[in-house]
Amino acid sequence: MTGIRWYHLALWIAFVAIMFVMPQLVSKGTLRIIIMANFLAIFAISWDVLSGRTGYISFGHPFLIGIGAYTSAILTKRFDVPLEVAMPIAVLMTMIGGIIVFLPALRIKGSYFALVTLAFMELIYQLVQVIRPDLTGGTRGMSGIKTITRGAVSNYYLSASLLIAIAFSMWLLMKTQLGIALSAIGMNEESVRGSGLSTTKLKLFAFLTSAFVAGIGGAFYVHYLGSIAPRALFDINFLFTIIVAALIGGASTIIGPIIGAFFLTFLLEFLRPYLPGAERYFIYGMVALLLYMYQPKGLIALMHTGWNKLTGAR
Amino acid sequence: MMQIVIQGLLLSGLYALIAMGFTLIFSVGRVLNLAYGAYLLIGGYVYFTVSQTFGVPKPIGLLIAATVGCAVGLLKYRFLVKPLKGDHVAVEISTLILAVVLQAGVVFLYGDSSKILLPIVPGVIQVAGASVTYNLLAATIASWAILIGLYIIVRKTHIGRAMQAVSMDNKGAAISGVDPDKINMFTWGLSGTLGAIAGVFFASYTQLHPAMWVAPLIIAVAVVIVGGIGSIIGTLIVAHIIGFMEIISVALIAPELRGVFTMILIIAVLLIRPQGLFGREELQ
Repeated sequence: MTGIRWYHLALWIAFVAIMFVMPQLVSKGTLRIIIMANFLAIFAISWDVLSGRTGYISFGHPFLIGIGAYTSAILTKRFDVPLEVAMPIAVLMTMIGGIIVFLPALRIKGSYFALVTLAFMELIYQLVQVIRPDLTGGTRGMSGIKTITRGAVSNYYLSASLLIAIAFSMWLLMKTQLGIALSAIGMNEESVRGSGLSTTKLKLFAFLTSAFVAGIGGAFYVHYLGSIAPRALFDINFLFTIIVAALIGGASTIIGPIIGAFFLTFLLEFLRPYLPGAERYFIYGMVALLLYMYQPKGLIALMHTGWNKLTGAR
Repeated sequence: MMQIVIQGLLLSGLYALIAMGFTLIFSVGRVLNLAYGAYLLIGGYVYFTVSQTFGVPKPIGLLIAATVGCAVGLLKYRFLVKPLKGDHVAVEISTLILAVVLQAGVVFLYGDSSKILLPIVPGVIQVAGASVTYNLLAATIASWAILIGLYIIVRKTHIGRAMQAVSMDNKGAAISGVDPDKINMFTWGLSGTLGAIAGVFFASYTQLHPAMWVAPLIIAVAVVIVGGIGSIIGTLIVAHIIGFMEIISVALIAPELRGVFTMILIIAVLLIRPQGLFGREELQ
């Protein structure tokens, strides 16, 4: 563990405290929005562990999230498996999915890797509708899936604790030498190999961790929504939101994807009264594009510069 | 049997046209333009507005669609790709965002529902028991004409050779007196034009829909990856492999599986031969 300072812990405590008192401060409607932001933040953290750190850009993250969500949904709905058994199986299946995504990363990198993951997403989108529609619900998907709890407040606490647990453990992980080695792969894979480390093992670890988080997120998400549909899940817009949340907030940080997820979710909700339909994505995308073009390192870098200007530090 | 051959040939011609503009950018500009599908979207909708809403003659409508596509390509290069200075990841991400923005823009202007584009050339002809629409036939002929024209441009003209040079080595081309920036501009404009024309034919083959850019993007990606980056001949051959695979799976196996074999082909080729079946990195 390196580089942990007292103010890090103070910030974490402040974050947990704010999340804890949130239901007292805002309405139930806002709470439901925050729940979506929490899930988006979990997905964005999962994407960031794989792509933000190692530099292997995944365009197929809904593939992993979808495996987790579908496995848990099918097990509980079609086979009456209890939730506490179905969800660990779903996470395990997602990690197997993570190995599938990992295989191309052994040979190819850069744009080719991004494309093959995009192909994974399209492949599962089409297969889900065709293979055993009696299980997956085909094109229309499934509804009436068991939910874990009811009500905005208890669902809020569930998603918030999940986010905090994942964010904190990922943060600790990234402070270890292992986490630093992962970021080093993103900078220069050859020199990491030159330092005598096995990049294959490191990458496998990153992909499995990412899949683990995606699987947990996907399973909890489907049991929050209570329904699942292939077009909503294996969708470019969904993929776009995950990637942009991680990048807008600030890739290869933990707080960045969380900030990005909250920013995007609230931006989308803020636009709802003016633009009710899919045209919201026009403004939403433009804001994302301009922010990204202006500062590819994200909001966190902007805040950093702002803070430094304010305090006069260099 | 004859039906499959004819349908396969026609669909493959369309796919080759779709993939061509994409492969140009990938080999000359060396960047992955995920907003390529948006040219097809723009081309289709501009043609729809000009010729179906305002009643402008169809060839002029096609010309206007091509011009708009060209303009969008140039703007995209000038304001998106150039400022990012060839940062591949940044270009991929920002073109993905741009594609989503353009899709939302189309929803904003035309609504969410799909629109039927009237055939560009109406009528049906019977060939060996297979019914062929003149529309798809026209698309195939146009596609072949464009591909041959492109092949001649790349191989025989000065600007084509300059494009080859830039695709091989940016600095080397600059030393030889080629302005890579100009060549890139030209290529982005050309790619946009081709995409918009392909979009008009693709939309008249299927239908106009705000999300119609995803499927052609995947097809273009498949053709380019399997064919190898920058090979015009490879693009042509693989467009036929994919077109025929789709027609055969629709006719003989199951229509729902039409895209599955394409995806499996992409994944398999990328794993076994990442440079593609016919590819070098350069435009050839």
